[in-house]
Amino acid sequence: MHKDDEHAHRVARLYREYGPAVYHRCLRLLREPEAARDATQEVFVKLVRNADRLSDPDGALPWIYRVATNHCLNEARNARMRRRPAANEEALELAPAETPSLPDGRLARELLSRFDARTQAIAVGVLVDGLEHEELAGALGISRKTVQRTLARFLFQARALLAGGAT
Amino acid sequence: MTGAMAAAGRCPSELDILRHLHAPQPELERHAEACPGCAARISEALRSAETFRRQVFPATLDSVVERSRPWRPRAWMLAPIPALAAAAVLVLLVRPTMPPPDYVGVKGGLALSVYVRDAGGEGARAASDGQVVPPDAAIRFEVRAARACHLWLVSVDASGQVSRLHPATGDPPRVKGDTVLPGGAMLDGTPGPERLFAVCTPSPLPFAEVERIARAAAPGGETSVRSLRTLPDLPNGALQATVLLEKRR
Repeated sequence: MHKDDEHAHRVARLYREYGPAVYHRCLRLLREPEAARDATQEVFVKLVRNADRLSDPDGALPWIYRVATNHCLNEARNARMRRRPAANEEALELAPAETPSLPDGRLARELLSRFDARTQAIAVGVLVDGLEHEELAGALGISRKTVQRTLARFLFQARALLAGGAT
Repeated sequence: MTGAMAAAGRCPSELDILRHLHAPQPELERHAEACPGCAARISEALRSAETFRRQVFPATLDSVVERSRPWRPRAWMLAPIPALAAAAVLVLLVRPTMPPPDYVGVKGGLALSVYVRDAGGEGARAASDGQVVPPDAAIRFEVRAARACHLWLVSVDASGQVSRLHPATGDPPRVKGDTVLPGGAMLDGTPGPERLFAVCTPSPLPFAEVERIARAAAPGGETSVRSLRTLPDLPNGALQATVLLEKRR
């Protein structure tokens, strides 16, 4: 088989296998099909650069979670900065799907945007995605203590911001 | 589903749901039978997976395959370069903000080239300084750095907005020589001038610092964007280059 064909077959197989997980992750964070479609391609191109890591699903899925989360949180942040309509302003549901009201969602997004990228990933991972600290630490490639400390700091500062905003 | 989840009887995390999309997890299905909230989350995930298989996969596979090939120059990148060199319209500018300690004359700097995708998406043309482009044009970048340095690519527009173009995440990459930057950017669709700056520093500069400098230099207004040719107050040894794009329908 020609080298280009080998590459195409390999990428197509991996994309078919892992693409649904990438797309779901991106759609959940960006909430806009077009933005999620674009992000899925970007994320997958990044993943394929280290295709060996996709050979073991046990390790691949936490890695996919990490790459897609970082990319999409960054996309959402850039979209806010550039006021692009492409990424939905309703991005990042920070509460279970059946409960949020629009003002709650907006408040949560505003709050989250005050923090750096790693803190955002940790807050979303624990508070929105429901990962255990250890599981999230493994997915993000950081220590469990870092997750705990960062989350505690996030909660402390978030409460302070909310308290300040309420007065 | 993770062992911890099964043992604790807790609701599945998003990572558990990603695992379920890859290979059905019987424990997760059993949990969903008794948990309407999780059943809804799983149904939503399965729907998005189906959308991927039916719509996204066929529409994007070619692009993903092409973009994930080991890098080699593509026709649309190579074609404009000789033309540009000949016409000397390649964008650029290049001088250290402050000469480095070993500076002995003009011995290099930084050049920035901007390529604008054609409407059909098949080709791209190099943009000259001040070029009129569609407000929502897709663009790519190439830099030439005479010495190794850490690169940021940002833009400022008439509203005073500073946008981070490259890298989208993480620390500024170390570049040297000719470098086609991966990815690209989509302009924001708003007509008006947008000035792009490549800033390359001997040691990594925090993005917040680049943003602060750019925002102070171009606080808003079309005139300030068009007339701003250099960013002041960059660290010693910093290189910079700029290109102005005029977004117009």
